[in-house]
Amino acid sequence: MSSIVSSEAILLLLLIAGPMIFGAAAWGVRTESARRGVVLAAVGCVVASGLALALRGPFVLAGARWLEPLGGILEAALVGVFFALGVCRRMWLVAAAAGVQAGLLVWEHFGADPASSVAPPFIVDPLSLLLVLIITLVGSVILLHGIGYMGRHAEHAPPTAAQNGRFFLVLIGFLGLMNGLVLADSLRWFAVFWEGTTLCSYFLIGHDGTEEAKASARRALTLNALGGAMLSLGMVWDHRQGGTGLISNLIANPASTPLVFLLTAAFVKSAQMPFQSWLLGAMVAPTPVSALLHSSTMVKAGSYLVLRLAPAFASTPLALVIALAGAFTFAATSAMAISQSNAKKVLAYSTIANLGLIVACSGINTPLAYAAALVVLVYHAISKALLFLCVGTIEQQIGSRHIDAMGGIFFKLPLTTTIAALGMISMMAPPFGMLVGKWMAIVSAGQTPLVLVLLVIGSALTIFFWGKWLGRIVTTAYHEKYHLEKIPRTMSAALVVLGAMVLVAGAGVMTVYRAWLRPLAISTLSHVYLQPDSLGLLQSVDSFMGWPIMVTLLVVVLAGLASFFGLRRTQVRLPYLCGENVVVGTRTFEFRSVMDQRTTAQVTSYYFTHLFGEETMTRWANLVALLILLSLFARVSLA
Amino acid sequence: MLRQFGLKKSPWVVHFNCNSCNGCDIELLACLSPLYDLERFGIIHVGNPKHADVLLVTGSVNHRNARVLKNVYDQMPEPKAVVAVGVCASTGGIFRECYNVLGGIEEVVPVDVFVPGCPARPEAVIDGIVKAAEKLDLRRRGQPVSRPSLVPETHEPSPKPAAPPETVPATPASPAAPVAAPAELAKTP
Amino acid sequence: MSTRMTLGLAAVVLAPIVGGLIRGLDRVLTARLQGRQGPPLLQPFFDIIKLFQKEPVVVNRTQVFYAYLHLALIALATFMLATGGDALMLLFILAFSTLALVIGAMSVRSPFSRIGAQREIVMMVAYEPILILMVIGFYLANGSFRLQSVYEASRPMLLSLPLVFIAYLSVVMIKFQKSPFDLATSHHAHQEIVKGVTLEFAGPYLGMIELAHCYEAAFFLGLAGLFWATNAWMAALLAAGVFAVTLLLDNLCARLTTHWMFRFMWTVVFGLALTNIIWLYWR
Ligand code: SF4
Repeated sequence: MSSIVSSEAILLLLLIAGPMIFGAAAWGVRTESARRGVVLAAVGCVVASGLALALRGPFVLAGARWLEPLGGILEAALVGVFFALGVCRRMWLVAAAAGVQAGLLVWEHFGADPASSVAPPFIVDPLSLLLVLIITLVGSVILLHGIGYMGRHAEHAPPTAAQNGRFFLVLIGFLGLMNGLVLADSLRWFAVFWEGTTLCSYFLIGHDGTEEAKASARRALTLNALGGAMLSLGMVWDHRQGGTGLISNLIANPASTPLVFLLTAAFVKSAQMPFQSWLLGAMVAPTPVSALLHSSTMVKAGSYLVLRLAPAFASTPLALVIALAGAFTFAATSAMAISQSNAKKVLAYSTIANLGLIVACSGINTPLAYAAALVVLVYHAISKALLFLCVGTIEQQIGSRHIDAMGGIFFKLPLTTTIAALGMISMMAPPFGMLVGKWMAIVSAGQTPLVLVLLVIGSALTIFFWGKWLGRIVTTAYHEKYHLEKIPRTMSAALVVLGAMVLVAGAGVMTVYRAWLRPLAISTLSHVYLQPDSLGLLQSVDSFMGWPIMVTLLVVVLAGLASFFGLRRTQVRLPYLCGENVVVGTRTFEFRSVMDQRTTAQVTSYYFTHLFGEETMTRWANLVALLILLSLFARVSLA
Repeated sequence: MLRQFGLKKSPWVVHFNCNSCNGCDIELLACLSPLYDLERFGIIHVGNPKHADVLLVTGSVNHRNARVLKNVYDQMPEPKAVVAVGVCASTGGIFRECYNVLGGIEEVVPVDVFVPGCPARPEAVIDGIVKAAEKLDLRRRGQPVSRPSLVPETHEPSPKPAAPPETVPATPASPAAPVAAPAELAKTP
Repeated sequence: MSTRMTLGLAAVVLAPIVGGLIRGLDRVLTARLQGRQGPPLLQPFFDIIKLFQKEPVVVNRTQVFYAYLHLALIALATFMLATGGDALMLLFILAFSTLALVIGAMSVRSPFSRIGAQREIVMMVAYEPILILMVIGFYLANGSFRLQSVYEASRPMLLSLPLVFIAYLSVVMIKFQKSPFDLATSHHAHQEIVKGVTLEFAGPYLGMIELAHCYEAAFFLGLAGLFWATNAWMAALLAAGVFAVTLLLDNLCARLTTHWMFRFMWTVVFGLALTNIIWLYWR
């Protein structure tokens, strides 16, 4: 027990309220340059507070008693906002969900035993620390990129777009809410932050104000409001069954019914099938928003909840269903990503797939699987943020987000493309973290056959869409001359910083795993059960020799560089086009055809739309996912 | 030590049909058949100049395909050799006087081996390739390699397209490649 | 540890030699089946030596990295196979090796090379799940993902994984670019997509890819031998059997389309492997 003004309290206040204050400041200032300064300061503050928390290490901070009613008031206010939004904008489902929540709040308020209410503590344990680090470090880089991006975005944005001030208010505030969400142990405060992120995402997705943006924002709000209602339901249920309203307590004394509701809420938030549509719609938003929603925040709130609750449902029948749901999402969305030609949509599907992988691993629920989930969580956040920022930058430069239009962007945007290629490689190739995570996931799924098959299918399909896209962007021309692109310095700085993060974190994946993620996984699940088999696998992953890969890659880079510079100019020759090349500048796709006409050869990628077409596949995949989800509710007992 | 096994033993050829009547091309295909079996000598018929060591050209050069021939030749990595298959490729043959024909492929690319015949016999074609492979090896070792020429010294590229020339230039009749089949070829059925 | 290292390094040195002989034998036997005399047995080595004597020609300079990467990673995979490393990681490295080639082919602005690359990706996606299921099968039979456990197993894998072995056969057919799966590049398909993925690699870089193919030949037949790792002779016999079957089918079949291959692999072959895996669970 420490007093409310202890250094820990200040740290937490800085993490949660700090971003909101900076956001308000960014909203308040008049000029763009002043706003830029404020956002830069926010970036610094967020990074510093995140690192400070990491240095401080785990602790528990008991809150004051008045925090609990304050949380209630805030939640009521948020529910009121939802209701008003629902009624004014004619989103009846949102209004209905808010109505249900309001009813539950009232019921709980009058039905609760006042003596049982406790002061809501904030817990900093390795898991929440990990999440805070992801949120602050990755989130702040996205903010940095946002400065340059939004400056340009304002020039091309539709006239309906909201002001940049409001945008940054919500964007920076979002980070604070996320920090609060992962640190809160009281379900009440957790719900407050949860609903807060929902509201923020509504404003952010609808930023451009176009019809499409509005529709997507509405869809996001509707689904997440339903998820919020699920959360409230779980909360009330927990209370009714004599819970103290603390997540840690719920984990220690698990009861299936509240768990099912909380997990459903988490599924909505992390866009698991059949709730994926809101995240797909979210890509209409400006790039910093999609990057933030997809990588380090919002969707990670859902997977955080699942990971947090993992010890609670370990070795219960729930676990298998969760694993199945996640694995199914992984396989189905990986397949759908193949048929997409819109770059942001490919990224969106890949995000959902990876969240599915996290959920599946939490469902498998051995220490190894849990560690795999953590690895995917961390490395996905970094790589996906990087990819979104790159795609946003590319889109701003070439005016298209079509994958086939990205052939040859290498000589227009060498820096961005190099970093984007790095990001894609880090999503699928050794020695980067995502591959290690996937590897551990498959290894750990060895005892659950159905999950395993889905993971195998998904990971094979992953190569398909990354491979064809990567090949497309690294296309370079003949006798090329590179000029570094002119993009705002904040944007290139953000890309370089994230790229460096990918490289450093990628090279150190086994170190991170051994030093942090493995102990975390073991300590989280050790009190539940620890099969000798899964421990053996943990050891086998642990003793993985990473150095041959590093040595090989080093040799390749050195030998490659030597050959790269050893080539003479005359040895760089035209590609084979049956002897009919036409050379225009650096382009070499043209050839002389009949009657000496110039014709451009065009090769598009395979999309396999007849197999993985979005429409047909979504229909039946949603159905299957819904059935899996419903089987979760079989565990709901009305006692 | 190992190096001598390279070029001589594995000449990969690319075949370019310049302006041929397809007679020579059919003979070339016959070389791939079990009866003649080019692969005995490690010769592979690759479809593109990037992988090829020897360029086989059939038919004469005309205005349309001269630049294509040049392009294909330029794309081949050094060391490389060119074999002109048939009299058309060597001198223009019976098409020589056509209004659009420039003449033998020598007008465009340097030729190492001429294989005469109309059409050239498969035995002769194979022998031509093997001869070219020997030249390739010499070229790798940096030794001087003679290049035969069928173009008369007084010859000037004809100004085309124009009316066909009135007089027929004398066609030299001394092929660089031997016509007779070498000993090992005689053994094949 | 040190004996394992020497074993691994020996494999890296010997694999291309064995693989080259296998490929030479392949060419000789194919020629005989077609009623031809065929090249000398050592022809693949002559080809590679020649390619390294040629001038390096590229379309863009970045290509060199992909060629090196392709070769180095397949060598690494061979190393891991010999040292008994983690089987799943081995597969990922193998996939990355092929991917390097694909990306290299896509990095040039050549339509033929692009088409070949696209096909190669589809081929990869077609066989990758089978290989992973095979490794899962090893795991279920031995309780470990390390190949070491396969070497030390007392019971041959083939007895527990007969259907997976049949599925593996088609993987080998795809990897060796044999009919009916010789889609992305082959000595036969040059009329259609010229030379597919390898088209724009020339001289030494093509030589590296040929060398990598030799590694692949040794690697995949070695993997086939794993199915009877308890006895070296049986392993060799098994590998020879796989080789003979691919050779025979290559000469019997016509080439089929990519979509057909994808469907076939993901239904029939995948089903075969899956049946075997499910059977292992039930046992
Ligand atoms: S040499 Fe004779 S057979 Fe050959 S292309 Fe000319 S005309 Fe035809």
